[in-house]
Amino acid sequence: MALSSDSPTDQESSEKISVRNVSRSYESTRALADVSFSVAEGEFCCVVGPSGCGKTTLLRTIAGLEAPNSGSVLVDGHPVTDPGIDRGMVFQEYALFPWRTVRGNIRFGLDRPACECSDCEARVRELIDLVGLDGFEDAYPKELSGGMKQRVGIARALAVDPETLLMDEPFASVDARTRDRLHAELLDIWTRTEQTIVFVTHDIDEAVTLADRVVVMDADPGTVQSIVTVDIDRPRQRTAQEFVEYVTRIRDELGSPHDACDGFSQGSC
Amino acid sequence: MSHQTSTSSDTVVAGSFDRDLRRYLRGLGGLLVFLLVWWVGAMATQPSYLVPGPLESVRAFVDLFATSTAIVVPVLGSSPVLPTGLAHLAQTLFHYVPGLLLGAGCGISLGLAMGWKGALDDWLRPLVRVLRPIPPLAWVVFAIVWFGIHHTGAAFIVFVGAFWINFYGAYGGVEGVSNELTDAASTLGVERDLSMLKLVAIPSAAPQVLTGFRTSIGRCWMIVVGAELFGAPGVGYEIINAANNLAMATSVAYMFLISLAFLCTDVGFRLVEQRVLAWR
Repeated sequence: MALSSDSPTDQESSEKISVRNVSRSYESTRALADVSFSVAEGEFCCVVGPSGCGKTTLLRTIAGLEAPNSGSVLVDGHPVTDPGIDRGMVFQEYALFPWRTVRGNIRFGLDRPACECSDCEARVRELIDLVGLDGFEDAYPKELSGGMKQRVGIARALAVDPETLLMDEPFASVDARTRDRLHAELLDIWTRTEQTIVFVTHDIDEAVTLADRVVVMDADPGTVQSIVTVDIDRPRQRTAQEFVEYVTRIRDELGSPHDACDGFSQGSC
Repeated sequence: MSHQTSTSSDTVVAGSFDRDLRRYLRGLGGLLVFLLVWWVGAMATQPSYLVPGPLESVRAFVDLFATSTAIVVPVLGSSPVLPTGLAHLAQTLFHYVPGLLLGAGCGISLGLAMGWKGALDDWLRPLVRVLRPIPPLAWVVFAIVWFGIHHTGAAFIVFVGAFWINFYGAYGGVEGVSNELTDAASTLGVERDLSMLKLVAIPSAAPQVLTGFRTSIGRCWMIVVGAELFGAPGVGYEIINAANNLAMATSVAYMFLISLAFLCTDVGFRLVEQRVLAWR
């Protein structure tokens, strides 16, 4: 069921994103130190790590919102220099335009000259349908719950039909039940659109629920600790033996400083 | 969205109606007490012109609309005959409106430009620091030597007043645009700086821009009266003109008229603001 294969030849032939020796420091901290990994076309890749491990910086570098101090990010073999509509982004705090309605937010990218949609209005309707926001087309973001806001955020990013979807802890601010539903919906959308997804989270359960492969990062400086291929059929049950084994394994990978965090609460661990 | 709120709002309305009524009654009570104090104070003061009484003032106010006066409309050059009160109000508006609109237009433009372009901000910030503290009425001397103290001169002073208030509204608004929103826009294909200003910065700054403009509506009423005390025709000039003849009740009538005009412009603009900023 897992879309990616472990065989290196297969991965190289369909490599979508390649992060090569990326380093990035801010004044006193080294957010990323020599980070390398690649994401295959159509793969669902999760990046987990403790807060401060530079996972958001990594995602923003792939998006082209930040430039690395050294190293490079290649998308389809071309180095990333600027943001582009081939890489849609979903933000943790939604970043919806508060002065635009649901419809207006989703339409934002479609109104750009770079995007050529023949029937934008139909596309917006289709997306509203896809993320289940019928009846809320004319609502402003302030009228929506967190889960609904993020649905708008996802629909807005999907509107311009990006090949890659970059998601920065998108469900961190929604309640657990809504999050479960959004996970199912996201997987459904991903299956339909066949996009490549890079999904940043600090929640190991979330990563194992969603990902084909999990990039485990370590903090201070941010480095890739290991890469775990999750080979469980979807939909995945959190209580299943193998699921728990993957979670345990990734928690072990995350290393000793976090051993203090026990049980099933990932929190900020 | 609307169906969510409608169920609970019915019960809320009944409670808030009582509260509103109580508030209005209290407000009315405050006004009545003021009128009483005014009335007694006016009766007790001699000579009578020191404090014209409320009845006398109301009579003077009615008189403003019982008599008529011819005014000259600038630019058009026509000279309609209007009820005296309206005639002088119109004279004030002839410099108030152009001064306010031009000042707001220029102030908002410069504020947006400086808030958005760091280099421009570096260039102009010290200059702004020096010019900003000068009270608009201080410019009256230049208004007189450059334009003469008539409509143009008074409009110039109003312009200065409107300019700074609107400048700071727009400047602060654009500076406060969140990076997250500009990031989101750039991942959605906004490439040019000017598009970002138009699509993200200006809508995001709109609340502060509009608050700045509303503040300037009020401030400019004060400034315009000040300018007219130096001799530009209008309501402010009539206040001092009436006082020179010791017709203090007429002065009070014109003061009411300004209050009324201010109230109308303010309420009118609040309605516009509510509609434009429905998303807040």
